[in-house]
Amino acid sequence: QNYVVSPRLMEIVEGCRLPVLRKNQENEDEWPLAEILSVKDTLGRKLFYVHYIDFNKRLDEWVTPDRLDMKKLQFPKKEAKTPTKNGLPGSRPSSPEREVVRETALNGTTRRVLPPSQPGRKRKTCGTDEDSQDSSDGIPTAPRMTGSLVSDRSHDDIITRMKNIDCIELGRHRLKPWYFSPYPQELTTLPILYLCEFCLKYLKSLKCLQRHLTKCNLRHPPGNEIYRKGTISFFEIDGRKNKTYSQNLCLLAKCFLDHKTLYYDTDPFLFYVMTEYDCKGFHIVGYFSKEKESTEDYNVACILTLPPYQRRGYGKLLIEFSYELSKVEGKTGTPEKPLSDLGLLSYRSYWSQTILEILMDLKSDNGERPQITINEISEITSVKKEDVISTLQYLNLINYYKGQYILTLSEDIVDGHERAMQKRHLRIDPKCLHFTPKDWSKRGKW
Amino acid sequence: MSKLSFRARALDAAKPLPIYRNGDIPDLNDCVSINRAVPQMPTGMEKEEESEHHLQRAICAQQVFREKKECMVIPVPEAEGNINYYDRLYKGEFRQPKQLIHIQPFGLDYEQPDYDMDSEDETLLNRLNRKMELKPLQFEIMVDRLEKASANQLITLPEAKLLLNEDDYLLKSVYDYLVRKRKNCRGPSLIPQVKQEKRDGSTNNDAYVAFRRRTEKMQTRKNRKNDEASYEKMLKLRREFSRTVTILEMIKKREKSKRELLHLTLEVVEKRFQMSDFSGEVLSEVSVPLAEKTVHPAPICLPNGNRHKTENKVKSTPKHHPHNVTVKAEPHFDFIRPHKKSSRKPKLDTLRPPSRPERPHTVNTADIKQYDFHSSGEDENPQSPSSEPDEENDPDGAFVFRRRAGCSYLSPLTEQSDGSPPVLAGLDAMWQRNALTALSVPRRCVGVARRRLGRGGRVLLDRPSSELDRALRHLDPDTFCPSRSLAQLLSDIQACRWRYFQPRPLHQNQRDESGRNALHEDDRKGGGVTGTSSSRNTVLGGITEEQFQTHQQQLVQMQQQQLAQSQQQGLRPSSNLPERPHVHVSNTASLDTLSKTLDSASAQFAASAVVSTPNKDGKTHNTAVNGILPNSGKHNNKFSSSGSSSVRPSGASSKPLLAVPQSLPHGHGPLSSVSAVSPAHTHLNSARPCAPSPPALKLATVASSLDRVPKVTPASAIDSIGRDKNEPERLALNGIETTVAMEVT
Repeated sequence: QNYVVSPRLMEIVEGCRLPVLRKNQENEDEWPLAEILSVKDTLGRKLFYVHYIDFNKRLDEWVTPDRLDMKKLQFPKKEAKTPTKNGLPGSRPSSPEREVVRETALNGTTRRVLPPSQPGRKRKTCGTDEDSQDSSDGIPTAPRMTGSLVSDRSHDDIITRMKNIDCIELGRHRLKPWYFSPYPQELTTLPILYLCEFCLKYLKSLKCLQRHLTKCNLRHPPGNEIYRKGTISFFEIDGRKNKTYSQNLCLLAKCFLDHKTLYYDTDPFLFYVMTEYDCKGFHIVGYFSKEKESTEDYNVACILTLPPYQRRGYGKLLIEFSYELSKVEGKTGTPEKPLSDLGLLSYRSYWSQTILEILMDLKSDNGERPQITINEISEITSVKKEDVISTLQYLNLINYYKGQYILTLSEDIVDGHERAMQKRHLRIDPKCLHFTPKDWSKRGKW
Repeated sequence: MSKLSFRARALDAAKPLPIYRNGDIPDLNDCVSINRAVPQMPTGMEKEEESEHHLQRAICAQQVFREKKECMVIPVPEAEGNINYYDRLYKGEFRQPKQLIHIQPFGLDYEQPDYDMDSEDETLLNRLNRKMELKPLQFEIMVDRLEKASANQLITLPEAKLLLNEDDYLLKSVYDYLVRKRKNCRGPSLIPQVKQEKRDGSTNNDAYVAFRRRTEKMQTRKNRKNDEASYEKMLKLRREFSRTVTILEMIKKREKSKRELLHLTLEVVEKRFQMSDFSGEVLSEVSVPLAEKTVHPAPICLPNGNRHKTENKVKSTPKHHPHNVTVKAEPHFDFIRPHKKSSRKPKLDTLRPPSRPERPHTVNTADIKQYDFHSSGEDENPQSPSSEPDEENDPDGAFVFRRRAGCSYLSPLTEQSDGSPPVLAGLDAMWQRNALTALSVPRRCVGVARRRLGRGGRVLLDRPSSELDRALRHLDPDTFCPSRSLAQLLSDIQACRWRYFQPRPLHQNQRDESGRNALHEDDRKGGGVTGTSSSRNTVLGGITEEQFQTHQQQLVQMQQQQLAQSQQQGLRPSSNLPERPHVHVSNTASLDTLSKTLDSASAQFAASAVVSTPNKDGKTHNTAVNGILPNSGKHNNKFSSSGSSSVRPSGASSKPLLAVPQSLPHGHGPLSSVSAVSPAHTHLNSARPCAPSPPALKLATVASSLDRVPKVTPASAIDSIGRDKNEPERLALNGIETTVAMEVT
């Protein structure tokens, strides 16, 4: 009650930028530049929702005034950098180069590792974005109906830019959501949202969860188990036949997937839920969804390893499984775009290991130098050709030498691969997969 | 690192890439610089995210260290850990089944309330439980149902009472509690639910609305092909459904008819009862015509059905052409199921009394009209009777048999009820198929021949050789066709046709004997052609004035058409004329030749005519007319039948008909001869094969064998005439013709 809001604090409004204190992974103090997205006043105390510039949104948080570096406060310029309500393309952050320049000018202390700007790269990335921008045209319209990810920013209004759930309790775990998820609004004010571990129903209190558990006798995802090896199982859930579960799963997943859209129903998707079994049942570890019929060779729509299971190889397992399904289908596939940062890293890692595995195993017959085509790699792995090429480029394997392209496996690549593979214990065993693809085009729609 | 002076070839995914390892890696510097030529693939990330600090750091770390460093991972919000009450929360253990878990579709929905009790509810429950027992589940079910029945406002208490069959006190307590609870609840419902879209589109940008329905199925781009296929399927489905509807309608019609049949049968029985017709006499009397009727009416044609509805028996009787009388014994018409009549059929056979009372002579106007229609139809299409409906006759081209709308077609009857057909041999066989033939243009008699229709409508004469040839060759063709005035001709034709309509029944049985005698005399005396006209009045007796008038008009019209036709063809008075002569000849019976022209049909005719004419003045000229023979005496039949019918009713004079024309016109055979054929003939024709009544048949046989034979040069030939009818082969043939003839109807 006695706390007096300083006049300067009153001036901080949405759109202001200033350095905000945060701890890095080494638990060191940092003062990255941040933007104020929202201000709230609870019991006379002001809280500021900040987005750290050039940090992923998942790190956005409510901060107390004492973490703000008021000395370096910048007021929003006329053309506000805050995302507008309707998500006009104009609100998109400027290109990385300009950002860097400005930031170094403003805050020289920011640690930043940026790749040397490559001419041509920007143009190309712009090119890939064009498609997605076309659909929005500046006017918020209903998003396209295929796929599961929003690539246009029509939803990038202030509400969806802010996390709305503070904490989720799921089985043995508590999860800190990373992004907005459209759980019923009345539940967003709860300190903890309780989910049934098996049917993923959301409940407002532990008491409700207790009551629910007396009625819910699921001990595994409500679908057919199509893979089991050891404690790892995969369940296939039809988004049309099992709407409730699919929706609950999507709501949960949305907490950790920025670009996932829940705009439309789940009918055209299949959900492959990976579980780990213990005596209590089959616990969800992660999942990926997949369009029943993809017009663009997507074999994954959304893919997520729940945070408690991250960085333990499950993501790669999910990816591997998705390609195993594609192998059964006899197709090549690629994940739906855009990829998240973690998605990109995971996929690159998977692609790299998969391709290197093949390249290293190639034996030269009759003394000739072993060789392979990109198409062959693609066929063997079900990885789409473009992804093979981008991986080869990323790994710097592909070179132009004496008028032809060659693949060069340098020592550190080989060593790094071998080390990585030693750590990769979790693998999908195709023999344990019991999966018959359905031709969805011949059934009733979805 | 200067720009390359050459452009690297595009990367070809189908081209093998040699793999170099460790030591044998060539000049790396070169490679690196060249590497730029490989187009950079997009990462697939959003551009601004791609540049995020932690990601770039991680990417760099990976490129530098070739593995992840713990400190270089992308930081995520961490949640603290273990829930220590987990085991208490999730009670019990779950055994992993040996088999993969397979879920039964829809096996999941236990009807459990979606509402889950919270601690606030628990206190209420505890309070209530002091007075009554209320289980948490019960409470949840109540709340669940109330909530699901409510929208923004809780339903009213009375509504709640209707909805829940609970104790009033309990309900009231829970209801009041819910009202309060809802007031404090921030959500629209006590059961938290994801916000639903509103139809008005106001929620299009609401971030909390999720899982909207996909209004359009999908973008058609990829599925267009699909859509086409399903569109076609829908069309097919529609067609099949409409077919089903048609079938159902037909079934409905059929069942209605059945019901009607039942009613009518009942009616008949009642009437019979009233009339005390226990012996079935009246019934059989009345139903004779029905039996005959079955011979011609079209079974297939639906419109027919309606007519029966209103008709009583009397009315329907006249419908049958008298010619059929010859045939009336015909017991079967299996394929014909003309409604109620068919069921009575068997009865008729058994009930037919030896002697038949006269039938009423009323004629149904409608029936006559219908009939007329037919005849005119035939005139328009004179060839039809002569064209063979054989399926192999496709090459007939324009002459091919075609079904006509409004016609009914009967299938051939293959069985005769009584009389064993005599086996024919030798001359008999010849006469069976052939007839004495004269040509009109080179005016001469060609002897015995059979006419048939060739390709393109040509008329072919098949001339078997026989001992008679020599004698026949010397016949004067003029005896067949004396020239006559057009007027005369006309009137003759008319006379014939009128007779055709004579609705009189025949009383064959009665006259059997006398008929036989008559035949003798007839032949000897020969009837004058004049007889025809004289007999006319009597013949017409049964027809009302009005009917007569209309019919006559139509006939005149027909005749005119025929004449016009024949004249156009450049025939002399031709086709019609020649016939006359035959009749003439035959009537006079002056020549042996005449008798030779008799074929089976004519014999039959003769017989029937005789039968029906007790008094001898009727001149039965055997319809020698046929002499000109058309194929297997089809026409003859007609004549004979028409003749017989006409004769019968009057009972007096058998005026032979002459009518029919048949000489072989020059090459126009089919046309002219056909044109001469009256529609009535066609009917008869059809009737004949199926039906020679046994007595008539017998008579004919007898007559020909006894009487004529003597006169005719080739006695045997005539003999055969009478008998051939039953010959199976013949019948088959007739069957075909019948079909053709039926076209008329």
